[in-house]
Amino acid sequence: MGKQITFDKKEDLPLVTSSFESMAWNKTGDWRYLKPIFQDKTPPCNNSCPAGEDVQGYLYLAQKKKYKEAWNLIKEENPLPAVCGRACMHPCEDSCNRGEFDEPINISAIERFLADNAIKQGYILPPIKRKKKKEKIAIIGSGPAGLSCAYQLKRIGYQVTIFEALPALGGMLRIGIPDYRLPKDILEHEIDTILELGIQIQTKARIDKETIAKDMKDFHAIFIATGCHKSIRLGIAGGDSRSVISGLDFLKDIHFGKKVPLGKKVAVIGGGNTAIDTARLALRLGAKPFILYRRTPAEMPAIKSEVIQAENEGIEISYLTAPTRIISKGNRVTALECVKNRTGPPDSSGNKTLIEIKDSHFPIEVDNIISAIGEIPDISILPEEVDLENRLIVTDESLKTTMNGVFAGGDVKSPLRSIAHAIGSGKRAAIAIDRYLKAKTLEDVMDTIRIGDGPGLSMRSYLQRDDPSRRKTKQVVRYKDINIDYFEQKPRHAVKTLSIEERVSSKKEVHLGFPCETALQEAGRCFNCGVCNHCDNCYIFCSDLAVIKHKGKTRNTIDYDHCKGCGVCIEECPRDAMYMEREEK
Amino acid sequence: MSSTMPMQEYISPGHMACPGCGAVLAMRYILNVLGEKTVVVIPASCWSVIDGVFPYSAVRVPLFHTAFETAASVASGIKAGLDIQGDTETTVLAFAGDGATFDIGFQALSGAAERNEDFIYVCYDNEAYMNTGVQRSSATPYGAWTTTTPVRHPKDRPKKRILEIMAAHEIPYAATASIAYPDDLSAKVKKAKGIYGTKFLHIFSPCPTGWKSKSSQIIKIARLAVHTKVFPLYEVENGFTFHINMEPKNIPVREYLKLQGRFAHLSEEDIADIQRQVDEEWEHLLKRALY
Amino acid sequence: MIKVMIGNHAVSYGVMLSRVQVIPAYPITPQTSIVEELSEFCADGHLNARFIKVESEHSAMACCIGASAAGARTFTATSSQGLALMHEMLHWATGARLPIVMANVNRALGPPWNIWNDQTDSLSQRDTGWLQFYCESNQEVLDTVIQSFKISEEVLLPTMLVLDAFFLSHTAEAVDVPDAQDVDRYLPRYQARYRLDVDNPHSFGNLATPEYYQGFRNKIQDDMIRARTVAKKADEDFESIFHRSYGFTEAYQCEGADLILVTSGTVVSTSRIVIDELRKEGRKVGLLKIRMFRPFPFDDVIGALKDAKKVAVLDRAISFGHSGIFAQEIMSAMYNQPSKPLIYSYITGLGGLDVTPRIITDIINDACERDIPPQESIWIGGKS
Repeated sequence: MGKQITFDKKEDLPLVTSSFESMAWNKTGDWRYLKPIFQDKTPPCNNSCPAGEDVQGYLYLAQKKKYKEAWNLIKEENPLPAVCGRACMHPCEDSCNRGEFDEPINISAIERFLADNAIKQGYILPPIKRKKKKEKIAIIGSGPAGLSCAYQLKRIGYQVTIFEALPALGGMLRIGIPDYRLPKDILEHEIDTILELGIQIQTKARIDKETIAKDMKDFHAIFIATGCHKSIRLGIAGGDSRSVISGLDFLKDIHFGKKVPLGKKVAVIGGGNTAIDTARLALRLGAKPFILYRRTPAEMPAIKSEVIQAENEGIEISYLTAPTRIISKGNRVTALECVKNRTGPPDSSGNKTLIEIKDSHFPIEVDNIISAIGEIPDISILPEEVDLENRLIVTDESLKTTMNGVFAGGDVKSPLRSIAHAIGSGKRAAIAIDRYLKAKTLEDVMDTIRIGDGPGLSMRSYLQRDDPSRRKTKQVVRYKDINIDYFEQKPRHAVKTLSIEERVSSKKEVHLGFPCETALQEAGRCFNCGVCNHCDNCYIFCSDLAVIKHKGKTRNTIDYDHCKGCGVCIEECPRDAMYMEREEK
Repeated sequence: MSSTMPMQEYISPGHMACPGCGAVLAMRYILNVLGEKTVVVIPASCWSVIDGVFPYSAVRVPLFHTAFETAASVASGIKAGLDIQGDTETTVLAFAGDGATFDIGFQALSGAAERNEDFIYVCYDNEAYMNTGVQRSSATPYGAWTTTTPVRHPKDRPKKRILEIMAAHEIPYAATASIAYPDDLSAKVKKAKGIYGTKFLHIFSPCPTGWKSKSSQIIKIARLAVHTKVFPLYEVENGFTFHINMEPKNIPVREYLKLQGRFAHLSEEDIADIQRQVDEEWEHLLKRALY
Repeated sequence: MIKVMIGNHAVSYGVMLSRVQVIPAYPITPQTSIVEELSEFCADGHLNARFIKVESEHSAMACCIGASAAGARTFTATSSQGLALMHEMLHWATGARLPIVMANVNRALGPPWNIWNDQTDSLSQRDTGWLQFYCESNQEVLDTVIQSFKISEEVLLPTMLVLDAFFLSHTAEAVDVPDAQDVDRYLPRYQARYRLDVDNPHSFGNLATPEYYQGFRNKIQDDMIRARTVAKKADEDFESIFHRSYGFTEAYQCEGADLILVTSGTVVSTSRIVIDELRKEGRKVGLLKIRMFRPFPFDDVIGALKDAKKVAVLDRAISFGHSGIFAQEIMSAMYNQPSKPLIYSYITGLGGLDVTPRIITDIINDACERDIPPQESIWIGGKS
């Protein structure tokens, strides 16, 4: 390109100064001292997803109506998108940069749409072509952590067996989340897609330290993901009364079809998801439940939107209210004595200290008390070699316990108890086990597979199923990095919900999900932070004509022979998918 | 805005413009709309240099370099010359800077517009004589520093309202456009191409060199010019029908001024004064648009 | 066909017969009737041309440049202040190698205002690279318009033909108007070698480095020199069809002349009568008419003047601080000749001052009487 011409003699010159060759010979790249580089960065949603989903990636595919590809992308990282689209606490939305502009993208509703659409269309994630491996791995527990680990190991080619104490798989997903939030057919469908890969299951197989020692000798690795299924007892006078029901037991009993006799006035104690779910389920069983929580609304660990729904359904929540005594008449609870708290300065954990307000004791008439103040793991089943701390299994970064070949994840290992964290830890364990069985370390690949500086790992990167040239840097794109001039304010699309009347008279799912068109529009609100989406601003605004467009989806490139390094492309990239590098000359 | 822009380009890389030159983008967007059946006239301006040295040219359509004040008259001649030879299809584009338009070439432009010569006249406005080293022109805004309006005595007269002057010739089409809004700009060029007679496009074209701004911020500055109402996007058809093409976001002029070193000397009172002038002009424009 | 017409209309007819395609023009006395007539021709359809009523002479020339660059045959006419205003673009037309033809009706430059004959306007454009022809009669005017296109389009340089204000422009004479078909044969349609062509895009006039710039300037000079040969041929071809020719110069009664009067334009006609009278008195005087001023016809001038003892140059212009412009040119042409005449510079006829036989006789007598030419020009007539 850019022929250079010289005229040696006057006779060779044309009569007129007529120019006929382009200026491309003139390598104006020499003028440059700053060099623009295309480089995708980590979007905050991806960074904050404990399950390691490429959130921006699937939102982008959804924008392009590539719903199947979008679902595939989730499914490579997370086997339970229909579950997460419903029951995840979606930290992705909390970190969404759009939240500072107008409102965060309704990511969970889009995830649910993609997953439900996949169910409707019968999509199956194409299997990875890998040699079957001879190593066998035992997964103890079939909650999200166990399922995720089993799923990823099986995809890689290992022989996987799941041991589940209960009669059906799903762990807390099955017993801890009521139907109105996560219909069982949805859960079962997604579990089936995992099992269809060829995973062995043993239900009603309660594992203890003896079975681990004896029966699991054949396994090359064990992953303990037994979760937290023991309720914390209410430590107040009369708290061991038989008429105090544990929230988790209540949910489990209802799930397995047991009759739980409830009066009208049901006091639910606690502020977590179990408390909210318990109260809402009690409402659907005809009771008039209310919630007592000892701290403030801001400190409530339950998913905010679920709290709002509970209130919408008429469930009263009393904050800064702690039970002090249960008053019973014979075997029957009649009242609950409570005290009002006020908040003091924060303690070392950041929570505000609670100070009882003097003489604020008051009784509340109750028919039942459901205690949902938290769950703890059942550590009695664990072998002695597995070290514990604060009643949780101790592991290193690769989820290795102190017992050789035994890994642990999910709620039994971490105080960060969420579905997404559990799914993420299952995946981390799967990768760690694969590394372990290859006598390699997880640490060696962490830089490649860690998403930003967040909790999630990328299975796609681990399996090198992504484009290595498009791997994102660890830098997380923040709102200040977005060129908001390219975006218009558009309100978030809300999910439609069942009417209150319909809700309380059935166990139907409260959230109705997005229709396709709404999902498309909502996905269209995404900034695509840090990731080139071919908007072509770099090309359009390049005064040096040094951004080269290529046919098809290939990313634009820069003609460094001519780029003068003005930096307009960097400035006008709406999503910070480029950076400038100083050039030494 | 998206990949609607054609892949065919009519400007070659390697041209001689400064990094971050708005004038190149203006030419590029226009030629991408007008296509290969275009003849360009360039009077003395930055583009006389940008196009490159003999025997090269950065522009891939026929181009005629001419003297400072003659863009409109040479364009008139070219159009007549092509026309009489039976070529009625080719678009003639006069592409001149603000000095060549507002000042030295204004007479020829006014004459051509009055005759309703059939060409598109583009003024790429970088608000001073940039090629000669940033001397003030009648397009230089009030308060600006240039090498002939030093900070001790910055420009004390407002910018000439060229679009209204051109519209007053009752030409079929006159419009402002900005390199920050290529879609709007391209639509206007397309519209102009389809109209017989004199079409005048006034294109806001930042010059990082002369404005003492960052080369990376030219688009941002151009965008702010629209949204601070410093340079509203509007069009005038047949001299009387005004349309505002983009609702400004009403950002304070300070945001626009502060990105440019040529305004660095301004006091709070000066800025307030400029804000007042801008508001007044906007009101004036609104009245015409609503009329 | 013989028609009685003023000199300006002779220009218009020459333009029409040359089938000019674009005529940008701006009015100035005494040029106006040229363009008025042309606008009539265009309006009537006698001439299929775009007549552009520009807003100034500067724009007229700029417009010519555009039209010519587009490949069209292009003409304009002006005078005096108008020509001065065009000055910048005269250079441009040359540099761009555009075969534009222009008629300039010689008129004085102000102030004070004066609309009459004076050659300062066109002679001030001497160095712009235009060919210049000074015409003596309306017939010569018409014929020179046609010849100018022929020459310009061959050498790709512009031509200015010059006629005296009023003495020619507004004076009617019988003119043999050539047959259009004959003119077409002589001057076929213009085929531009370089033009703005969308099918073969070139950019014209880009910055050139000093090496190339000087090369291009050298080429202009080469073609200016070649223009002599081309003009000679054009004149001969013209003669073969129309039986009229003009040469670059015309030597009248120069054989054996001791003193030769050199001049141009309509003064030549008056001088002829004076020379005839003086010859009758037995005085050895002759007359040299300069028709082609650029390129300068060195050989013709030297050939005509080398054997004379004295040469008196009558200039209707002055280069302030030096002398008559024609006089300078003649002096410089003769300087390197082994035998050369004494050369006297006379200034007269400025601002339309009537150059009468009396004045011409006074000039000849004065030159005869002075042994040595003074350093400064000699002013004759009027209040000088």
